[in-house]
Amino acid sequence: MRTFNIWYLSSFLISVIVIIPVVTVFLSFFESTSDYFELLKNTFLFEYISNSLILVFGVLFLTLIIGVSTAYIVSFYSFPFSNFFKWALILGFAVPPYIYAYSLTAFFENYGTAYTILKSLFGEFNYNLHIPKFDGMIGAILSISFSIYAYVYILTTASFYFQSNNLIELGKNLGFSKLKTLFKVIIPSARPAIVAGLALVAMETLSDFGAVDFFSINTLTTAIYNSWLSFDDLVFSNQLSFYLLIFIFALFVIEKFSRRNAKYHSPLQGGFKKKQRAKLIGIKAFLAFLFCFLIFFLSFLFPIFQMLYWTILYPKNFFDLNIQDLLLNTLLLVALSSVVLIIFSFISNYGTRVNKSRFLNFLTTISISGYALPGVILALAYISFVAWFDNTIIHYFELQSVKKIFIGSILGLVIAYFVRFYSLSCNGIKSSYEKINKTLDETAYLSGYSKLKTFLNIHVPYLKSSIFFVTILISLEIIRELPITLILRPFNFETFATTAYIYASQDLLEAAAVPSLFLVLIASLFILLISRYILKENND
Amino acid sequence: MIKKFLEIKNVDFQIGGKIKVKNFSLDIEKKGEIICLLGPSGIGKTTILRSIAGLEKVENGSIKLKSNLLSSKNSHVEPENRNISLSFQENALFPHFTIQKNINFGTERNKINGKKFLNPKKIIKILNIENILNKYPHQISAGEAQRASLTRAVVSNPDLLLLDEPLSNIDENFKEEIQVNLKQILKENKITTIIVTHDSYEAFYLGDKCGIILDKKLRQYDEPYNVYHYPNSIHVVNFLNRGVLVPATVTGQYTLENDDLGLIKGNFVNEHRIGTKVKLLLQPEDLEHDDKSNLQLDVIDKKFKGTNFIYTLRTRSNKNISVFVHSHHVHQHQISDKFGIKKPIHIKHLVCF
Repeated sequence: MRTFNIWYLSSFLISVIVIIPVVTVFLSFFESTSDYFELLKNTFLFEYISNSLILVFGVLFLTLIIGVSTAYIVSFYSFPFSNFFKWALILGFAVPPYIYAYSLTAFFENYGTAYTILKSLFGEFNYNLHIPKFDGMIGAILSISFSIYAYVYILTTASFYFQSNNLIELGKNLGFSKLKTLFKVIIPSARPAIVAGLALVAMETLSDFGAVDFFSINTLTTAIYNSWLSFDDLVFSNQLSFYLLIFIFALFVIEKFSRRNAKYHSPLQGGFKKKQRAKLIGIKAFLAFLFCFLIFFLSFLFPIFQMLYWTILYPKNFFDLNIQDLLLNTLLLVALSSVVLIIFSFISNYGTRVNKSRFLNFLTTISISGYALPGVILALAYISFVAWFDNTIIHYFELQSVKKIFIGSILGLVIAYFVRFYSLSCNGIKSSYEKINKTLDETAYLSGYSKLKTFLNIHVPYLKSSIFFVTILISLEIIRELPITLILRPFNFETFATTAYIYASQDLLEAAAVPSLFLVLIASLFILLISRYILKENND
Repeated sequence: MIKKFLEIKNVDFQIGGKIKVKNFSLDIEKKGEIICLLGPSGIGKTTILRSIAGLEKVENGSIKLKSNLLSSKNSHVEPENRNISLSFQENALFPHFTIQKNINFGTERNKINGKKFLNPKKIIKILNIENILNKYPHQISAGEAQRASLTRAVVSNPDLLLLDEPLSNIDENFKEEIQVNLKQILKENKITTIIVTHDSYEAFYLGDKCGIILDKKLRQYDEPYNVYHYPNSIHVVNFLNRGVLVPATVTGQYTLENDDLGLIKGNFVNEHRIGTKVKLLLQPEDLEHDDKSNLQLDVIDKKFKGTNFIYTLRTRSNKNISVFVHSHHVHQHQISDKFGIKKPIHIKHLVCF
């Protein structure tokens, strides 16, 4: 290593912070734990794993169907409102799985909204017997799928966007029907993007805590949480996390690999011919509209209406809730975390850019692996680490305990968010950074600009929109995030997400509607702000 | 000892740990000289410019500008402190600035240091980019971008200007005019310049001196006329591709003999003993057309080059040689015709290896 400077130091620091939870989980695997683990290993562990797998495959199936079909329709056809649906179909992402789960239950439960509607339309009758119940595993699969199919939708749309018309014309030229072209040409060449989207979906599903907890499904994630909460056995939680991390790691590798392949669809290879979307008329146009509307309705309008209905029905909940405090708390977390994340992402990216060092590149790769860590594991591993640090290092030097500074504090939350969302922020900045030709930096140096001045006067203005995009993306993730906030938040510090969760876990779904509604509205606003960017920039 | 303006001594130019040009030495004696570096693609010409600009470090040798050490193994002046301007081959305009702002960027350092800079308006006019000043880089053509980038580099009035293929994207019909204008600007303002190009005609026109880089070495560094007429090695001849080497035997102080062409007269550039077998450089302008000559060769190809035709002729020993004929010449030939060459052949400089 030729020089050791601030860039190395900060990149090294970031990698260490991100790697700590993984190492903690790994080391815990070899520690002794309560007898509960032995008991569980022989009894429920199989159930946890099989439930997790059923959930993942269910969600993968549904998101594949929804994501790819909607992406195909809006990318290749023009019909009434097709441009609207192009971005409206991302809005489902504003509804976190746990909030979808509350709405689903609220609508279909005995004497729920469906019952009320039927009663008001057709009069008194025991409809409960005939209303399907979407709870348990089915409910969880539906909630998660409608909430996160956007991953598949966005990546597939991006890939379709770059499919050259030549390819499709080639299909026609070979005498393929539209359906055959779809399955023989269009989908296979978008496969890396679809796989990348599905890998993200699988990771999110395995990490999901709120929805599965609400439906009382025992997956690895809920088991990790419960073993900590009920048995106060952190080591055991970490041992369970180890199993989960093995799955996640496999998915992480698949996702990385697919993304690399996905780059092969770059228009820079030449011969790219922009598609003209085929105009649908008559019944076909209506069916395309109907299908997109149905997905849009189910993923977004349905939970919104359900929560709105309850908010209007029980206005007391609205007035009881200290919305101002919740909003301020949420905004505080969002602002602090975004600032820290953006600053460190800049330092790391700039460092890699000016140093051209492989070691630094390696550190960056480690740092961005944090997004694969489920929030529950991350939060608990974080607590384990701080406890260990406090009990050994701090105790050894006879210093004051630092637990209170790092656990149950805003600082602790920001650190955990940092680990979880660093890849989002770092990659977001990186992808824009890579578009700035390095000769521009050199031109600036040759015009007498120092490295700092080049950074401030050339890079920052150029990356303005990407900073905005990344900030909104981080904010969106943070306000949807549940387990980290739930586990690490300071006493009496609530956000919209935790408030909704607490009400729902107390079976007060009507009360959970108000914070949920606010959460979804803010998230929708964020998505609206960046929807153009997602659909356009993602294509680059 | 006379102080040299730029002194590059025994430098190994490298990029990414790979040596591109070895043991390179080159001097620019006076301020305002223009040097052109010629060589095939990928040979390391750009690396030389980048190293002089300070964008790459130097592990061996030294680079001095106006007697100040810029680069050596133990010393490296950062690019921003060199007052050297480099115009990159690829478009290096700031995409978020208009062309005007991009050009002004070149003068910022001068404003801070209180150094003189050139009047952008004049250069903008000469390089004919007045109508794109308010546009953004993505709204202009590659040729316009190159001229804008050139303007930005020139206006800063640097101690040393480095131009990497400055006219590669400019339309052929416009190129000559730009070459003339560029030379005028550089000479008027006495801007010492190193230009990297693969176009030998451009180098011969713009450069006070030309350097030919081949096989990791500076093979020849001389005035353009000398590089063209007195190439110092077969490598340079092959690179310039301006003629063929035919076998001949030295028969006298001013003569040699070729089996196909007979007696050839002229002044030897280097001394050769009588009886020595040599390879003689035969350039297209060395031979003259003469229908009445008894030396008749077969025409196997004919290229129209505007002002002249280039005939490719085949000798008895199956060697191809080229001959220029003015396109207004009364008697042109077709492929397969016989083509007469005036005898005895007289070549001003006999370049033999």
